[in-house]
Amino acid sequence: MYLPDFEYYAPSSLPEACGLLAQFGARAKVIAGGTDALPKMKQELMAPEALVSLKNLSQLTNIFYEQEKGIIIGSRATHNDLANSPVLQEKYLSICEAAHHMANNQVRNRGTVGGNIINAVPSADLPPILIALGAIVKLVGTGGERTVPLEEFFSGPGKTVIKQDEILTEIILPDQPFTGSTYMKFGLRRSGALAVVGVAAAVVMDGDICKDARIVLGAVAPVPIRAKKAEELLKGKSVTDGLLEEVGVCAAGESKPISDIRGSAEYRRDMVRVFTKRALKKAIQEGHC
Amino acid sequence: MEKKRSSYTNYKPEDISGVKLSEEKYSVIGKSVPKIDGRVKVTGQAKYTGDLKFPNMLVGKILTSPHAHARILSIDTSEAEKLPGVKAVITHKDVPSLKYGISPARWDENIFCIDKVRFVGDKVAAVAAVDEDTVYKALKLIKVEYEVLPAVFDVYEAMKEGAPLVHDEYPRNLNAEIHQNFGDVEKAFAEAYYVRTDRFVGNRAYQAPMEPHSAISIWENGKLTVYCSTQSPHYFQYYIAREFGMKMGDVRVLKTFIGGGFGGKLEPTGLEFAGAVIAKMTGRPVRMFYDRADMFAHNRGRHRVHMEITTGVDKNGKILGVHANFIQDGGAYTSLGIATAYYAGAMLPLTYDFENFKFDMLRVYTNLPACGAQRGHGAPQPRYAFESHLDRIAEHLGIDPVELRLRNARKPNTVTPNDFGVQSCELTACIEKAREISGWNEKKGKLPKGRGIGVAVGSFVSGAGYPIYRTDLPHSSAIIKVGEDGTSATLYTGANDIGQGSDTILCQMAAEAMGFTYENMKIVAADTETTPLDFGAYSSRQTLMSGAAVKQAGEEVKAQILEMASVMMEVDVGDLDCREAVVFCKSNPEIRKSFGEVARTFFVQKGPLVGRGVYSPPKLGGKFKGAAVGTSPAYSFATQISEVEIDEETGEIDVKEVWDVHDCGQVINPSLLHAQVHGALYMGMGETVWEEVVFDDKGKILNPNLGEYRLPTALDMPKISSELVESYEPLGPWGVKEVGEGATIPTMGCYNNAIYDATGVQVNSLPLSYEKVWRALKEKREKEKNKEE
Ligand SMILES: Cc1cc2nc3c(=O)[nH]c(=O)nc-3n(C[C@H](O)[C@H](O)[C@H](O)COP(=O)(O)OP(=O)(O)OC[C@H]3O[C@@H](n4cnc5c(N)ncnc54)[C@H](O)[C@@H]3O)c2cc1C
Repeated sequence: MYLPDFEYYAPSSLPEACGLLAQFGARAKVIAGGTDALPKMKQELMAPEALVSLKNLSQLTNIFYEQEKGIIIGSRATHNDLANSPVLQEKYLSICEAAHHMANNQVRNRGTVGGNIINAVPSADLPPILIALGAIVKLVGTGGERTVPLEEFFSGPGKTVIKQDEILTEIILPDQPFTGSTYMKFGLRRSGALAVVGVAAAVVMDGDICKDARIVLGAVAPVPIRAKKAEELLKGKSVTDGLLEEVGVCAAGESKPISDIRGSAEYRRDMVRVFTKRALKKAIQEGHC
Repeated sequence: MEKKRSSYTNYKPEDISGVKLSEEKYSVIGKSVPKIDGRVKVTGQAKYTGDLKFPNMLVGKILTSPHAHARILSIDTSEAEKLPGVKAVITHKDVPSLKYGISPARWDENIFCIDKVRFVGDKVAAVAAVDEDTVYKALKLIKVEYEVLPAVFDVYEAMKEGAPLVHDEYPRNLNAEIHQNFGDVEKAFAEAYYVRTDRFVGNRAYQAPMEPHSAISIWENGKLTVYCSTQSPHYFQYYIAREFGMKMGDVRVLKTFIGGGFGGKLEPTGLEFAGAVIAKMTGRPVRMFYDRADMFAHNRGRHRVHMEITTGVDKNGKILGVHANFIQDGGAYTSLGIATAYYAGAMLPLTYDFENFKFDMLRVYTNLPACGAQRGHGAPQPRYAFESHLDRIAEHLGIDPVELRLRNARKPNTVTPNDFGVQSCELTACIEKAREISGWNEKKGKLPKGRGIGVAVGSFVSGAGYPIYRTDLPHSSAIIKVGEDGTSATLYTGANDIGQGSDTILCQMAAEAMGFTYENMKIVAADTETTPLDFGAYSSRQTLMSGAAVKQAGEEVKAQILEMASVMMEVDVGDLDCREAVVFCKSNPEIRKSFGEVARTFFVQKGPLVGRGVYSPPKLGGKFKGAAVGTSPAYSFATQISEVEIDEETGEIDVKEVWDVHDCGQVINPSLLHAQVHGALYMGMGETVWEEVVFDDKGKILNPNLGEYRLPTALDMPKISSELVESYEPLGPWGVKEVGEGATIPTMGCYNNAIYDATGVQVNSLPLSYEKVWRALKEKREKEKNKEE
């Protein structure tokens, strides 16, 4: 396998980067960590004429808290940046854990949260937990900037609403009422396996009453999906194992998995039941974990 | 001015008066000395074939077929040839059409396909260019016109009348048929208290060595030199010379370092042949290489095998007779598969003592990559079937599985029904020790829900009793040359260190036999020109066979040293001994001379101090068809017990701990030995739970990469207790036997039995994936529910 020829740009400002994207149109691709883009090019799944690297836009790697706004994660932060961020560890350890259990250390040192989102594979590990925590993404293009809730960002496998000249710059996590959140990944070995099913859960607990809940399912539909009926089933009720099982069954019914070499649709659906139940229980009992 | 020549030296012998000699029986063997190549490997200094660079060297790759079965209508290489940087494009027209293979019974491969391709990945053409990028570009420019033919991917389909034929010469795609019958199985079954049949399927796995195959071919003055990633320079030399009609002496095959083989690098690939042709055409060295996906396509890994096994036992669980009825999917070529087919049955009677044994096997061609020898060669999957099946029998009889095995365990100095002579055999001790250290008696039947414990045994050859092609050449030989100043000695051996550590243990053995030190040993190995013949690294043969030759060579050196010392010290040679590089009087060890001084004097007076050794196994085996496969001078025995925890909702298998107890004779290097157990268990475990080569409905591999072909990671490994039992093999040098493959064999059955113990469900096909366990549990729950209703 070899890398086909391409032109390479590493602009030092965002406007310059967006300008290059506008100029090349569909023939250019952004490259961040390259852990998705380069394997795809080697496998001839894509053949951009130009790669626009974000490597000189170092402001995009910051992770910090801003009053009124929430936590801001630069799109070029790597999975290890996320895992090791004191800000995230304090507020949403669940995101750190999700990042820490991805891929392997080498990939976590290069792969970025922006790449994970834009790549938009159904099994991607970060979107479910980010959606559960109400993340909003900021997009900057030649015509200015806009924000989109991450939940509405994906339009199909490998597809998002980002425009050709836009760059994803920030993931914003507005302050949340959630008392607990977690992401559970079910892969076929302990490391270096993609999710067969991924379930993120966020809950607002008041004693043993679940005031609010979000359940986001990965790898079981063309895009990460909310299991909204299951959420409704849980809201306002006192939590019991029996209820969590019912919620799991409901979430399984909302999933739309396919069969592939990693698992049959039937298996995946049942794993949605199991991991919805387990994720909720964990978020309820252990907070952000 | 006049000086006597003999005194023209500054040499001062080393002062060894203070050296304290070890009081143990052995000085060098039995110790975990550091690996001889450990430092260069961990520092990255070790250069593998693919790292080597020669002036003007080209790089090349093979173009493979995108179709599982197709007629080649035309090949147009003109566009590829025009690409700047391309130096050669070759097809079947440029190479000999002589068929090759590794099993002489069925040479069925061509360097490049002539009339048709037989699997996705079959070899069609090759390109060499100045750099890799150009090679890949040129491959795309070769235009091959195919007429796609109907293909077969399943053995049962392949055997049907009228099914497409992979090779026209083999009706019903039958590549090999084995029918062996020892004793009277029918009678045994008729007399048995309980007869049971079970069916299992073994999966297609791939060796996945770390180092991709590569070969560098260089021509000089009519001589071809091939550096390659091989398990056996000798077999490569033989097959390359044969293919090109050359004298073996004009072909030199050697290796630098090898990053694992596990059976997948035992036979020449197209890389050596194509490289040799291109190097000759261009007059330049050529490095041909596989990338990861090519390796999966070339394959030669574990066969998929359908296994039906029937056993008759008496009331006490004594095995009276066994019938193994198997069908193997061989893929498109024979590779080592005939041997694999025989091994699959032949190794079954080794562990248990029974007289009536019937073995039927069909090896069937399909339009999939060829399968061959993979660690444990043919034995692990049938062992999985047999051991799982025996647990069901034990359950039916109400006998503890460990007890059932103890009642049947083979004893030393016995002969199997298929005429394998077994001398040392401590299987009973292995089972008993495994039972003890695993806490079997405290655990069996008493573990919490979802936890289980399982047992299985295994046995393997310590070197094949016969070579792969017919020859009366000895199997191993060695030369030791002591340096002229006596401070070092170099072992020359054809034995091949592919990572398992043979260079280290052979140097230990050489030093022990010579009375020398390991630290001052050097080794030159696995080079057909500079080292004497050895068949190489396969069938777990080198510790015993190469070791025997090395021991003899070392002893020859020692005898010469003692004789020389006897003259120098004016002591009767019978009173002299040498160890740790000190020659001393047995009657008074304070009277001594250094090995170095004696060796140097030897050189001054007589010339090079050299020892030679050679090894051929004794005549082995019976007279029936296929009697040679599975013969060996000695067999290892092993017992594994594993404890697992099953997530009953997901089917996830969490292996908590594995206890492996081996009878591998006397141990040369304990730390390397245990490393082999860990490595073999790692591979066995991968095949048991995760690994499987998966194809789409057109015969294309869906997971030819390390992302989706899931080898276990460090995090997946359980705690391992690797233990030994006291054992001494009379036919091995210092009583040694094999260990490298033996520990792969029990794992599949052992895990399956532990899973059954934990859940009450048995998965009858490998791998025992989470989903299969989940499904079996689900079906069990549904059945129980239906019963209640
Ligand atoms: C061995 C291995 C294991 C893996 N394991 C996992 C895993 O467990 N879980 C998982 O979810 N993923 C996994 N991945 C996939 C991958 O590593 C992640 O998706 C990673 O986050 C991608 O980030 P990147 O920066 O490398 O993306 P790149 O490859 O640089 O880019 C990916 C895509 O996003 C676009 N892009 C990147 N950044 C931006 C931006 N800021 N604005 C606009 N477009 C952008 C690129 O144009 C490209 O199309 C694995 C990959 C490998 C190679």
